[in-house]
Amino acid sequence: MGQDIFEIVVNGLKLIVIFLLMVQAVPILVWVERRGSAFIQNRLGPNRVGPLGLLQLLADAVKFLTKEDMLPNQAVRFLFYAAPVTALIPGVIAYCAIPLGTPISIEAFEMFGRSWGPYVFPMQGFDIGVGIVFVLGVSSLAAYTILMAGWGSGNKFSLMGALRASAQMISYELALGLSIVGIIMLYGTFNLTEMINAQQGALTYSAFGHQLAIPALPNWGLFYQPLGFILFFAATFAEANRLPFDLAEGEAELVAGFHTEYGGFKMLMFFIGEYAHMMIACGLVVTFFFGGYLVPYMTPEQVQSWVATWASSPNAVSAWTSVIHLLSYFVKFAFFMWFFIWVRWTLPRFRYDQLMDLGWKTMLPWALANTILTALVVYFAHTIK
Amino acid sequence: MTADAFIFWFLSLITLGSALSVMLLANPVYSALSLVMTMVGISALFVTLGAYFIAGVQLIVYAGAVMVLFVMVLMLFDLRAELQAFSRGQISGALKLATVGALAGLIGGALLLSAGNVAEPSMAEAAKLPPDASKALGIVLFTRHIFGFEALGVLLLVIAIGTVALARAKGGTHAKH
Repeated sequence: MGQDIFEIVVNGLKLIVIFLLMVQAVPILVWVERRGSAFIQNRLGPNRVGPLGLLQLLADAVKFLTKEDMLPNQAVRFLFYAAPVTALIPGVIAYCAIPLGTPISIEAFEMFGRSWGPYVFPMQGFDIGVGIVFVLGVSSLAAYTILMAGWGSGNKFSLMGALRASAQMISYELALGLSIVGIIMLYGTFNLTEMINAQQGALTYSAFGHQLAIPALPNWGLFYQPLGFILFFAATFAEANRLPFDLAEGEAELVAGFHTEYGGFKMLMFFIGEYAHMMIACGLVVTFFFGGYLVPYMTPEQVQSWVATWASSPNAVSAWTSVIHLLSYFVKFAFFMWFFIWVRWTLPRFRYDQLMDLGWKTMLPWALANTILTALVVYFAHTIK
Repeated sequence: MTADAFIFWFLSLITLGSALSVMLLANPVYSALSLVMTMVGISALFVTLGAYFIAGVQLIVYAGAVMVLFVMVLMLFDLRAELQAFSRGQISGALKLATVGALAGLIGGALLLSAGNVAEPSMAEAAKLPPDASKALGIVLFTRHIFGFEALGVLLLVIAIGTVALARAKGGTHAKH
């Protein structure tokens, strides 16, 4: 966690802040989802409570907290109560590993009669060497939440929803994992920060010792792995159980799937878990294919030298640079969150056999083809000069 | 007690505790979920040893895929018969206990006998590894151990084909019995 007490405290606080950020973003996303769906469907949506209906979130939260806590007769008590909690944990832990901005470096200073060494705080919960393996590993634990909820409810609709959902998550995890092998080979690293650093500046293809620069476009992974992007983004919809892949809920056939028996705050925790998975998906898409926290066309050094023209101390320069990158990250992030909502209210739901066909017979072969093609290109274009 | 030692003992306690409950719990679903906890605990122990890649793969493959299938299949069963079968019969119960005891004795004996011969792994040594040792791992895997790697791949392919063949022979998912 750190060398001394100051670093440990700051790193601990960072984890809490990221957790709160994710949880607090959920009511706003729910509001965006409801207003957005209303906009798409030519309705008004919630607009009575507060300006633009923004206080509806508070009213909803109060309602969720004060609802009766119900346990169905046939339910398995422990699993029924454990499932909503476990829905929250993997999502939050995985999101902590995604970098949100350039590291903030703080110079040595004096406090409480002793000197505190220079620090570098990465703008993420924790910097783990094999970032992407960790994120995929932790978020794959979410399948248990659904199984626990479905089985623990003692309800056949819940169980069917849970079985469907977990089968879907396992099937699409394969396509998801394979679709990013290309990007991993291209950047030659598992580390998310290194991947972002490889996307600096303007688009430059290099092959056989030649270089082709396209200054009109930023150097994003999207232009190297367009197929990988489409496959990855589609698979994340299935992983997050969002439309058009929300067979887990399928309210027309299964009431509400695995959370049929849940209400009040337990239901809200499932909601937060679902949105957490959307956030991880958007964070990863931005990191792999859209330059992460980088400002388009600019390198972090350029941003830093621009900040240095008006900021006073080195600490302020580092902090403002990080804030600018954080904003850049959040703009991209917000666009993809909106994309998730947009798709949900635009596309109809797949039938179950269509879902499995798409996962196993379409996306998996294309992801494999993308992997092999990328391997050949990386090997020949970058070794033969 | 240092922080490293505390984390090690804490994780070991969780891992061993959930490994024990895999065997001691009567309900197969709880056993399977305990096995998941064991996998997660082992993965966390890998992290403390600096083996991040193995830790991640452990999570993805065992906790994230293999055990999900176990739990899924168990949830489809009628567990009342399983519960009865587990708690019925004194002779079979004694046999189960004896088997577990023998296995525990074997593992314990192996640990005791080899205690003097094995160098104690140290956290300081683990910290010397680069944070991302997966490159070295890949190079070793594809040069020195290429035969084992390829053989495992062939084995898995055979298993996959065999599974499909078995499932198709009975009429596949649309079988009418």
